[in-house]
Amino acid sequence: MFSSRHGLLAAGVVLSLSLAACGGGNQPAAGSAKGAIKIWYSNNADEVKWGEAVVAAWNQSHSSEQVTGEQIPAGKSSEEVIGAAITAGTTPCLIFNTAPAAVPQFQKQAGLVNLSSFSDGSSYIEGRTGDGAKQYKSPNGNYYQMPWKSNPVMIFYNKDTFKKAGLDVNNPPLRTYDQFLSTAQAVVTTGKAKAAIWPSPTSEFYQPWFDFYPLFIAQTKGKQLVEKGEPQFDSADGLAVANFWKQLYAKGLAPKEAAQGDPFATGQSAMAIVGPWAIAVYGGKVNWGVAPVPTKDGMDVSSIHTFSDEKSIGMYSSCKNQGTAWDFLKFATNKDSDGKLLDLTGQMPMRSDLASNYSIYFSAHPEYKLFADQAGRTSEVPNVPNSVEMWQDFRGAYSKSVIFGNQSIDDAFKQAAAQIKTLVKS
Amino acid sequence: MATAVTEKATGLPRTIEQRPQEHRGERGSMRWVRLIALAIGALVFIFPFYYMVVSALQKTPNPDLSGAFPNPSSLSFDNFVAIDRAISLGRTLLNSGLFTGGVLLGTLVFGALAGYALAQLHFRGRQAVFYAMILLLVLPFQLLMIPLYVLIARDFGLGDTLLGMILPYAINPMAVFIFRQFFLQLPPEMFEAARIDGASELAILTRVAAPLTRPAILTAALITFIGPWNEFLWPFLITKRLELEPLAVALANYISTVAQRAANPYGTILAGATVLAVPVVILFLIFQRQFVESSIGSGVKG
Amino acid sequence: MLGAQPIGYLFAAPFVIYLVGIYAWPFFYSIYMSFFDYFFAAPGAVVERPFVGLANYAQALQDPLVHIAIRNVIIFLVINVPLTVAISMVLATALNAAIPFRSFFRAAYYIPYITASVAAVGIWLWLFSGFGLVDKILGPLAPKPSFLVNAFWAMPIIALYVTWKGLGFYILLYLAALQSIPKELYEAAKVDGASRIASFFAVTVPGLRSATLLVVITSVIVGANFFTEPYLLTGGGGPDNQSVSPVFLIYRFGIQQNHAGYAAAIGLLLAVGVLIISAVNRFVLERD
Repeated sequence: MFSSRHGLLAAGVVLSLSLAACGGGNQPAAGSAKGAIKIWYSNNADEVKWGEAVVAAWNQSHSSEQVTGEQIPAGKSSEEVIGAAITAGTTPCLIFNTAPAAVPQFQKQAGLVNLSSFSDGSSYIEGRTGDGAKQYKSPNGNYYQMPWKSNPVMIFYNKDTFKKAGLDVNNPPLRTYDQFLSTAQAVVTTGKAKAAIWPSPTSEFYQPWFDFYPLFIAQTKGKQLVEKGEPQFDSADGLAVANFWKQLYAKGLAPKEAAQGDPFATGQSAMAIVGPWAIAVYGGKVNWGVAPVPTKDGMDVSSIHTFSDEKSIGMYSSCKNQGTAWDFLKFATNKDSDGKLLDLTGQMPMRSDLASNYSIYFSAHPEYKLFADQAGRTSEVPNVPNSVEMWQDFRGAYSKSVIFGNQSIDDAFKQAAAQIKTLVKS
Repeated sequence: MATAVTEKATGLPRTIEQRPQEHRGERGSMRWVRLIALAIGALVFIFPFYYMVVSALQKTPNPDLSGAFPNPSSLSFDNFVAIDRAISLGRTLLNSGLFTGGVLLGTLVFGALAGYALAQLHFRGRQAVFYAMILLLVLPFQLLMIPLYVLIARDFGLGDTLLGMILPYAINPMAVFIFRQFFLQLPPEMFEAARIDGASELAILTRVAAPLTRPAILTAALITFIGPWNEFLWPFLITKRLELEPLAVALANYISTVAQRAANPYGTILAGATVLAVPVVILFLIFQRQFVESSIGSGVKG
Repeated sequence: MLGAQPIGYLFAAPFVIYLVGIYAWPFFYSIYMSFFDYFFAAPGAVVERPFVGLANYAQALQDPLVHIAIRNVIIFLVINVPLTVAISMVLATALNAAIPFRSFFRAAYYIPYITASVAAVGIWLWLFSGFGLVDKILGPLAPKPSFLVNAFWAMPIIALYVTWKGLGFYILLYLAALQSIPKELYEAAKVDGASRIASFFAVTVPGLRSATLLVVITSVIVGANFFTEPYLLTGGGGPDNQSVSPVFLIYRFGIQQNHAGYAAAIGLLLAVGVLIISAVNRFVLERD
């Protein structure tokens, strides 16, 4: 028995040594090495279709640098799956589903390759995305992620329910908080929908992105939750947004309990905060309309910002053939591949020339135009240390004060701001 | 801690079945009160399971009381088909089986060896091993999951492998304890006689001791079986790929991430729950007699 | 010397290696980790993990979430232990008589215990959700918001759930222990003119003392240990973190947020707590 245990230990040692040999990320040899690579893409059906198509197109002309595409393991959040894979050294070369909020942590784990270390790294990223790319830089000035595609969120509403409530279905009053609240009250009073809007009231760190954060970005004309180390939400604008949501919860217009099934698809709620992916998902089920997120006193549509719900591409340090990985990354984000992405998924490639490049697509699919227009005015989660923990803390304060009303919003936000200020420093 | 309890319970595990105790004459009314109380209690325990199966079979969720007594025409296997599509029941059931089988194998082989050594073999340090085992019976290893995760996922590189899933459960200390108690109750003279006849210790264990302790083996097997089959936290941490997840983990992931988007989420969840629960319940009903009788004695001791 | 049968070392070796590998080594390693700002990094990566002394422990003792988790363990024990002891003692005594359908009753009580907690949680989610059967039956008496999202009710529901699920095991335990109470004690009580109920308290309850000790110790272990319930039943320790458990926090801090050193410190504090409580329990309940 002793011998077999030692065998196992020895195997472990050998394994970690060999992994160490191909890990590290900063080894110059890896940066240009070419050969077969493995990538992960998201597991939703449309993105799988895109992934398979792009991989097939690449493989046709690169017989010595074959790419194997796999769906990211399903189950838990992809952040957790990727974090565990980094620890175990089993990440693929590229993951086309890297959440910006998780990038600081992956970077700290030494799991990501610095894309700026490729000679054309920063210039390629900035050339494609434009000024918006800067939001994706890490505090040390380098890119550890390539901004890929966004899902700028807006308000979807159910035209049938709105009609029943006697509202203008093409231009419903949803611009200001007061309008939004009375509209919400009106649709619930009809009894046709149980809730006006039903964001998930649960405690996952990412839930603020689909209730508080988009409205906060709109209200502040594009501010991030934290800027230059200073939390921004403990401000007049932040409190206005929180108080708006608080009223929705207090009046029972937004439920405090998680929904059974998709509340918008099943008609349980009259509105939802969603990105362009929703057009394909709800298209056949709901007679929908779309409006920008509300602001306190209303703003011109063309100046409303929102949350990008962006996904990046990360290159992971366990990758041996980083030269091929970089080439493939550029291939998968060129004009053709991006066009295919838009066509297959309705999600917006992070290109500065989105509308002009794909004008044919947008004239054929006018329903996506609003989202494309909105894609030009988005803000991202801040790229700060302890980002996931920061969002978790924020969610805790929000849930306690806004959703459940067990603490005053002022106190909860003040405490959370103090806590987060020390968090993002370390 | 548990030793104190151990020392008090003596003798082989008893069979309760044959010795109902309160034979004192009691009036009929008392009997009925007792029976009704037990029946109400049993209802509280069994109803949720009945409700699980019935709700899993309903096409559309019906949370009203009438949902517990549905019209047979509204029943279907749709939810089972849906959960199978989401988490491929065959694959995940197989994973649960492999995980459980590996743990059973490790526990029965190495646990019996250790139990035998602790009971009938004299070597220095035996007491120390025994007390270490007792100490660990009260120390939940979940509290040590972070370093254990480092050890298994990192140092051994066993993340997303069957072996990595099995290792923390490889030898159930409770089963070792049961083996020891049973071997202790066999007369030492028997072992001495076999040794004088020149039998090796391994032969004594397999040919003399094991046949005499079949109830212990069965008890240990059943107690051990329940553990990994029902376990959630560790396999949840160590597996990230559906191809390796046991059913309990796949179902939990379905509940926490996917279900919200399903058409009949509770029906689908409950269909998965039914598939997860039924094999153990059937196994239990088959082995009920032995299980109940033999686990009790060792349970009190453990 | 090695003893009469040194082959015992060989027989015990796998188990000893197992104990060292799965318990002892992680135990000492977690002491080491808890003194560092330890986090998980890619294999072979050179990362800085600063020594922080007792800072993790100091932070754990001040962390409001840790306080809630400890409070929740106390709520859990306060509900779980008396209910478990009382109900399983009474039901075991009732089952111990010659009554019809004994095997049926026993099996009925045992089924929740052998069912996977993920499956049982699925049932409770359905029963106790805001539109579920329990709220329907309670009607206007149902709490608002509903049980599982109610800051006051979430933790008691978890405690009730665990009690319900574990009761079968404790009934069997008490049934076994009942067999070792000498019949003569009951007869003597009867001669003294004690009623049935009086003899239950005078003979049965003291006679089951060692089994009760086991129940209490097991409950403490379970109480320090529950994870599936806050993770699934109350959707991640909700609402508003009011149902977080220690193991759930270890998972959130260690695995989700990658503060492994901090999580290790919490785990160690709790392990020591469990050992102390078990020792105290034994001392209190076994004094005589």
